Amino acid sequence: MNDAKSKRELWIGWWTLVVFYNLYGLLFFVVTRTQPPPSPSAEPAAIVQWFADRHDGLIYGYAVVFIVGGATAIMNATLAWTMRRMSVSRAFAYSYLVIYALATLPGMLLMGIACTVGAMRPDRDPALIAWLYDFAFLSFEGTMGVFLIGSLVWMAAVLLDKNGVFPRWFGYLNLCNALTEVVVAPAWIFQGGVFAWDGAIAWWVNMGVFVTYTAVFLTLIRNLILREDFGTGPLPELPTR
Amino acid sequence: MRLFAVWLALSAITLTQLGVGSADGGDVLVPNAAITVGAIGIALVKVRIILREFMEVRHAPVLLGRLTDLWVVLAGVSLLGCYFAGMA
Amino acid sequence: MKEARETAAAARFVPGQPDMWAFVLFEALVFTAYFTVYVVCRTRNLELFLQSQAHLDLRVGVFHTLVLLASSWSVARCVQAARERSYEAALRHAYLTVLFGSVFLVSKVLEWAAKLRQGFGFTTDEFFSFYYFLTAIHFLHLLIGFVALGIAIHQLRSPLRRSQETVETCATYWHTIDFLWVLIFALLYVMR
Repeated sequence: MNDAKSKRELWIGWWTLVVFYNLYGLLFFVVTRTQPPPSPSAEPAAIVQWFADRHDGLIYGYAVVFIVGGATAIMNATLAWTMRRMSVSRAFAYSYLVIYALATLPGMLLMGIACTVGAMRPDRDPALIAWLYDFAFLSFEGTMGVFLIGSLVWMAAVLLDKNGVFPRWFGYLNLCNALTEVVVAPAWIFQGGVFAWDGAIAWWVNMGVFVTYTAVFLTLIRNLILREDFGTGPLPELPTR
Repeated sequence: MRLFAVWLALSAITLTQLGVGSADGGDVLVPNAAITVGAIGIALVKVRIILREFMEVRHAPVLLGRLTDLWVVLAGVSLLGCYFAGMA
Repeated sequence: MKEARETAAAARFVPGQPDMWAFVLFEALVFTAYFTVYVVCRTRNLELFLQSQAHLDLRVGVFHTLVLLASSWSVARCVQAARERSYEAALRHAYLTVLFGSVFLVSKVLEWAAKLRQGFGFTTDEFFSFYYFLTAIHFLHLLIGFVALGIAIHQLRSPLRRSQETVETCATYWHTIDFLWVLIFALLYVMR
């Protein structure tokens, strides 16, 4: 069989996921230093300083994000493929694809645009820079609802699937992830405290769950590719080394 | 019958906590470490009973029992630890 | 004696899907994180928390706890009955669980309404933010619990679909709602 050859595309998809998520982490946490997020209650003067401290990181970091942003198409296609391999309706894969394609906007691009616009002219009116700051972080942290529905779609697909593409506990983990997205919603209301966009509950605990979730699905997709038999029925178990 | 006895015990324990409210003497609440430790401790005891009896961890493989106990201990340490650290 | 012990050991089983247990433990950890944050915030602002907490009615909290404990009892009886293939009894206990859950649901909404009418909202102060957050996220889990009960009842109603494992899995989820509430009750209503 030409298994090794056929699986090459799948591995490209998987490696894109792995590289992208690591790059994303690096760009957001180390280069641009926009995560962990700063305080929503900062005064305009402090906000201007925040942009000044990160000027180069923001410009170059997000430039890279914008260039490689298209990779999300490959990532989402890979995730949608996992659902195509399931016994459930193709509608699951398609809805997931649409949701996550749209999610790139609030999940990455809007924040990038707002931050680079803010960094570009440091001598802009502080009130405007503060506006961009709020816009960046609210669009990034506060629009988790998109991911909520996406997680629920994946959850439903996993639990209804008869081909054993993913273990049931991953379906339930999607529910956990979905619920933590709900928890982020109060970020729109609070300018300080644990429910603000930088809060212990809205950001830190949520991030802990999200990182776990991401590491898990990257591993499970890898296992899936190893098990893939290009059929339409139940998948075989992981081959023993 | 055992399940009913368990429910009775858990309910009885819960009812004793009604007494906490009046022990404070009315509307003004005052800090009380004993009540706090008691509340969290009793809650964890109840949780463990629910796990072992209602959720049948008693009859489950030992590993599950150890994992659930580990979580109960973790919760206790985390909650009480942070409480005492914060009150210091 | 040794034979009896061996038989007992051999009879060990995981109630419901192990997958659901993985979920239960993970959610328990996440909630423990929320509870810990609450305790830390409380110790930083004890005066405020005590003042606001005084506006909660301990009796209502106790009532809620008793109701959920009863619902745990009834769903455990349901699982027991199903195991003995007494499906009529199992269904009765499942419906009883739905009833207890509904009583909690209505009572919780009434409690929120009462607090709102008294002027205590989500943004009133830190204590009330936690009060609404913890009870609301718990409430959300309760709503999902009704879905789980629905699945269990669906299983029990037809001879073709009677999966003991599914019924046990749903029950395991339901108990989680109960024990999480036990902790929430202690933290919001009782601790000083």
